[in-house]
Amino acid sequence: MTTAQFLQNLLNGISIGSVYAIFALGYTLVFSILGIINFAHGAVFTLGAYLTYAMAVGQFGINGLLSGLSIPVQLPFPVALLLGCILSGLVSVLIERLAFRPLRNRGGDALLALVSSLGVALVTVNAIQYFVGSEIYSFPPEIYGDIKPAITFSISESVVVIRTVQVIIFGVCMAVLVSLGFLIARTRFGKALRAVAENPATASLLGISVNRFILYTFFLSGFLGGLAGSLVGTSFGVAGPYFGVTYGLQGIAVIVLGGLGSIPGSVLGGIIIGLIEAFVPPDYSAYKEAVSFALLFLILMVRPQGLLGQSQIQKV
Amino acid sequence: MKRLFFTVLVVMCSTAAHAEKIKAPIHIGIGVAQTSNVALFGEEQVNGAKVAEAVFNAKGGINGTPFKLVYQDTGGDEAGAINAFQNLINRDKVVGIVGPTLSQQAFSADPIANRAKVPVLAPSNTAKGIPQIGEYIGRVSAPISFIAPFAVKYALQENPKIKKVAILYAQNDAYSTSETGTFQESVKKQGLEIVTTQKFQTTDSDFTTQVTAVLGAKVDLAVISGLAADGGNLVKQLRQMGYKGLIVGGNGFNTANVFPVCGKYCEDLIVAQAYSPAVIDTNPMNKEFVTEFRKKHKKDPPQFAAQAFTAVQIYVEALKKVEVNTKNKITQLDLATVRTELNKAIRTGSYKTPLGEISLDKEGEINQKNFYVSRIKMEPNGKSGKFLNVK
Repeated sequence: MTTAQFLQNLLNGISIGSVYAIFALGYTLVFSILGIINFAHGAVFTLGAYLTYAMAVGQFGINGLLSGLSIPVQLPFPVALLLGCILSGLVSVLIERLAFRPLRNRGGDALLALVSSLGVALVTVNAIQYFVGSEIYSFPPEIYGDIKPAITFSISESVVVIRTVQVIIFGVCMAVLVSLGFLIARTRFGKALRAVAENPATASLLGISVNRFILYTFFLSGFLGGLAGSLVGTSFGVAGPYFGVTYGLQGIAVIVLGGLGSIPGSVLGGIIIGLIEAFVPPDYSAYKEAVSFALLFLILMVRPQGLLGQSQIQKV
Repeated sequence: MKRLFFTVLVVMCSTAAHAEKIKAPIHIGIGVAQTSNVALFGEEQVNGAKVAEAVFNAKGGINGTPFKLVYQDTGGDEAGAINAFQNLINRDKVVGIVGPTLSQQAFSADPIANRAKVPVLAPSNTAKGIPQIGEYIGRVSAPISFIAPFAVKYALQENPKIKKVAILYAQNDAYSTSETGTFQESVKKQGLEIVTTQKFQTTDSDFTTQVTAVLGAKVDLAVISGLAADGGNLVKQLRQMGYKGLIVGGNGFNTANVFPVCGKYCEDLIVAQAYSPAVIDTNPMNKEFVTEFRKKHKKDPPQFAAQAFTAVQIYVEALKKVEVNTKNKITQLDLATVRTELNKAIRTGSYKTPLGEISLDKEGEINQKNFYVSRIKMEPNGKSGKFLNVK
C-alpha cells in the first residue's frame, strides 16, 4: 500500500467513523441511563434523514401516500438540518413515552423494553414507506453551498482525492462531539444527567426529576441519530426506508467494541470500525461487516467489557 | 372419528377446487415485493400492473369479462414469496401469477406454483434457469447477454481512442455478476484491455476505495454492473473525485430512480436497456402505456413497470385465446382447466407489447428482439433527467 493509498483510506475511515461515533452515542446515552439498547435508534436515524430532506428539498416521488407532493417552502440546509435533528429528538422522546416508560412504570423486564423498541422500529420504517414509498431520495450537491466536489492534494508524487462532503461531515461530527462532551462534563445539566445514570434513586432524592432527565436523554439520543442519518443522506442519498438497518447494526457493534455506556468508548469504537471498513480492500468489501464483527469478537474475548468500558460499568 | 372428519374435509376441498367455476372478475395474482429493501422495484412493478389493469379493462377485459389484479406482498425474501404464492393460489384463486421480484425468490416460490399447475410470468427474474424451473414458469424479462455488447460498441464509437477499461460490478447480485461476464467478454472482443476489476456490494454506499483504484489505473472507460442506489452512488463518486472518461451502466441503471442518486453527475451515462419509453412512434402499445403512465405519475415508466405491464397484457391476451380454444367463456370453465389452458395459450403466438413484439418459447423463455442503448440527459436543475435513445 502506497502512502497515498494509506492516507486516502485513513481519511475515508475517519470521516465515516465520525458518523458512526455520533450515531453510536445515541445508543450509549440511553444505555447509560436505562441499561438497555434502544433498537428504535436506527429507525430514528432513517426518519431524521427523511425529515431533513423534506424541509431542505421537499420533493417526493410517485409512490406512497405523499406521492407527487412538492413542499413549496424550502429551508436553507443548516436550518433544515437543525430542525430535522430537533424533530428526530422529539420523536425519540415520543418513543420513550410510548415504548419505554409504560413498561418501566409497571416494572417490566428490560428485555420487554428491547422488544417494544424493536416494534417501534418496525412501525416507523413501515410508516415511512407508507407515506413516501421506497424510492431513493438525494440531496443535491449544492446544499453545502458552491463548493468543489473533491479536494485533491498530492503526497510523494501520488494524488490523494477526498470528497468535500466527507470533510464537512467530519467537521460537523467533531463540533457535535466536542459540544456534547462539554455539555456532559462541564454543565449542571451534565452533572444531573450523570447522577441519574449513576443511581436514579439517589438522584431523585437529591431533587432531580429522573423521568425528566430520561426524556432529555432520549431527546439528545434522537437528535444525534437524526443528525447522523441526515449527514449520511447528504453523502450517499437516502436509499429507502430500510437504509438505517445496517447502520443500526454497525452502531451496536461500535458501542460494544467501545464499551457499553462509555462515551469516549463510542467515539473510539466508531472511528475504529470506520477505519476497518476503509482498509478492507474493495475486492473483499462483502466481508467488511464480517471483518469488523470478527475483530469485535476478538477484542471481547480479551476485554469482555469493551475497549474503554469498565468491568463494573460506570455510567455516562 | 376425527380422522374421518379430516378425510371428508380433504375430499370436499379437493373436489371443490376441481369443480369450482370462475367468477367475474377473473383474478390475476401480483406477487411482488411491496415491502423490504426490494420494495423499490416492487413498487415500480405494481405501478406498471395497475396501468395494465386500467387499460385492458377499459378495452373490455377478456372479451367482456373484467379482470382484477390481486396483490400479495412477497417482501424481499424467499419465505415471503412462498407465503404470497400460496395465498394467491389457494385463497385468492388466481388464474395466473405475475412475480416474484427477485430470481432468488423465484427459485423457492415458483416450484410451488408449478406443482399446483398455476402459470407464473416473471416480470424481472433474469437469472439463468428460471424458465427451466417447470412447465408452468415463464418470463418476460430478457437475460442480459444480448444487450451488453451494444453499449460497449457505442462507447467505442463515441471515443475510438479507448484502450483501457475498468470493470466494476456488484458481486452479491446474481444479475450484476452475470451481466459483468457478458460485458467483460464484449470488452475483450473489441480488443480493449481490462486494467482493473473492482467489486462492490449492492448495499455499499461508500466507493472511495474502488474509485481510487479506477483513477489510479487511468482508464478511458468504466463499465458498471449494479443496481440504481449503489450504481448511482458509484457514478456520483467517480465524477466527484475527478473521473473524466466514459461510463457504461448495465441494465440496473435503466430506471429513473438513478437520477436522484447521481443527480447532475448522471449526465452522459451510457445505459444498456431492455425497455425504452422513448420508442413510441413505431410501437402503439408502448405509446398507450407511456401516455397512461405519465398521466398518473408524471414521469416516464421504468423498465420494471413496463415488464409488469407486459406480463399482465400477456395474461389478458392468452385468456382470450383460451376462450377461443375451448369455445367457452372463462366464467363457464373451472379453475384448474383455465390454469392449464392458459399456460398452453401463453406459449403460442406473439404479443405486441411495450417491450416490442415478443413471444415465449415452449420452455417459457422470452424471445425479445428490441434492445436499446441510451444516454442520460439531466435537466439543468440536476434533479431529474431523461434517457435519450442512441441506438
